[in-house]
Amino acid sequence: MDLSLSTRTEGDSTVVEVGGEIDVYTAPRLREQLVDLVADGKYHLIVDMERVDFLDSTGLGVLVGGLKRVRAHDGSLRLVCTQERILKIFRITGLTKVFPISDSVAEAVAATD
Amino acid sequence: MTDLGSATAGSSPHPATTFATRVLLVEDDEGDAFLVRELLLDAGSDVTIQRVRSLAEASLELPGEHDCVLLGLGLPDANGLEALGVVLGAAPNIAVLVLTGLADEHRGIEAVAAGAQDYLVKGTIDGQLLARAIRYAVERKRADESVRRLYASELRAAENSRLERGLLPEPVVLSGDVEATTRYRPGRHQSLLGGDFYDLVETDDGTVYAVIGDVAGHGPDEAALGVCLRIAWRTLVLAGVEPEAILPGMDAVLVGERDSDETFATVSMVRVAPDRRSARFWQAGHPLPLLLRGDDTVGRLPDDAAGVALGVVPGTEWTAAEVDLAVGTRVLLFTDGLIEGLDGRGGRGRLGESGLEALLAELLVGSTSARLAGSLLARVQELNGGELTDDVALLLVSWGQPSR
Repeated sequence: MDLSLSTRTEGDSTVVEVGGEIDVYTAPRLREQLVDLVADGKYHLIVDMERVDFLDSTGLGVLVGGLKRVRAHDGSLRLVCTQERILKIFRITGLTKVFPISDSVAEAVAATD
Repeated sequence: MTDLGSATAGSSPHPATTFATRVLLVEDDEGDAFLVRELLLDAGSDVTIQRVRSLAEASLELPGEHDCVLLGLGLPDANGLEALGVVLGAAPNIAVLVLTGLADEHRGIEAVAAGAQDYLVKGTIDGQLLARAIRYAVERKRADESVRRLYASELRAAENSRLERGLLPEPVVLSGDVEATTRYRPGRHQSLLGGDFYDLVETDDGTVYAVIGDVAGHGPDEAALGVCLRIAWRTLVLAGVEPEAILPGMDAVLVGERDSDETFATVSMVRVAPDRRSARFWQAGHPLPLLLRGDDTVGRLPDDAAGVALGVVPGTEWTAAEVDLAVGTRVLLFTDGLIEGLDGRGGRGRLGESGLEALLAELLVGSTSARLAGSLLARVQELNGGELTDDVALLLVSWGQPSR
């Protein structure tokens, strides 16, 4: 299973849609994407995880790293996720207290603006 | 321009299936090339020869399927030993025999010093000698190569055992009643350990502290960081630091020692009171431990016990969840490798915590800790349909009577 990535702009935010498995092999591509966006001056990111099937600790590390990068520019990184399986990982790792998590991209965009 | 395998000798009726020695002859002198072929044919040796006329042509062929290179030193596009350097650079594992003339035998000696297996002086060799020289050179090179590989694997094994001692230590148990049953299994395709670690210390007053943790990522750096955190934990416990200060202490060590901002670690820590009637649990982003009760039921910790992983938010404080313990309760601490395997239903579904609980309920009945740990790992692996991708560590803490 592979990782798919696409980005688009909505309002003031950049939405990164992620699909597939974010693991030790694919996480570097997500990292690169987030680094590129920040380098491009995009500091309000929404990572849409609705089509993510699997997320491991390396993937979590990349999201945490992304959050640190945007915060360095007073930006934000919101997640969109309603999948219980993935939400559970954020709960276990205590990251629900770190990442704002929305039910939909629209909600996340509204929260960013 | 190359001509392929035009001199094949030997007695096998099925030359295609024999393991003929494959020689790349690099020689621009037609006479010398002809002579080498004839000598080998005469000797009836099982050799296939591919001939090229220059170093440039040879470079295109290397590294290839050859066992041996016969290298003339008078090539049009290389100066003497330069050719040897290029050949060994392109194919370090190949045996090289250098062909020299009578007048420049000293260059043969230099070539051997520079990595050639042997040198042959043109005009002084017969077919038998040449065939034998090739055979010996190939065998010697193979032997060198296996010694090198053996050495590399010994180094790796030594590194692994050093890290393993650091990550998975002998518990410190003072009274006879505390038992720490541990299992560790490296993930698939991992030649080095990951960053899973555990430890258990019983202090003078009979309090039992246990910890399990996992540094995110997989490799020697993560493993070394796991060792740092494990030793930091034991040091803080032995120094009698207040339990609330232990995770913040480990957090500070992690932040100071990691080489990337993305590196974080998850930790689960438990402190069992000397009377064994209650325990406090601290959770830093780690799967919650399970309580295996004396009546063979499985208990969970409250969900709100979960705190943030180490190294994520500066200044985090972790609060404990206090749990009363029934007599005969055991505590199972584990890393996420145990629940990330497939659930055995044929899809991409993962075992998860509920799957683990169901397995435990099935395996728990009347099982000793050692048997339970063994059968649990075996079942998880079976459901996954083979070895697990990630490392798995588990620590099952049990005790008999209260220590006082």
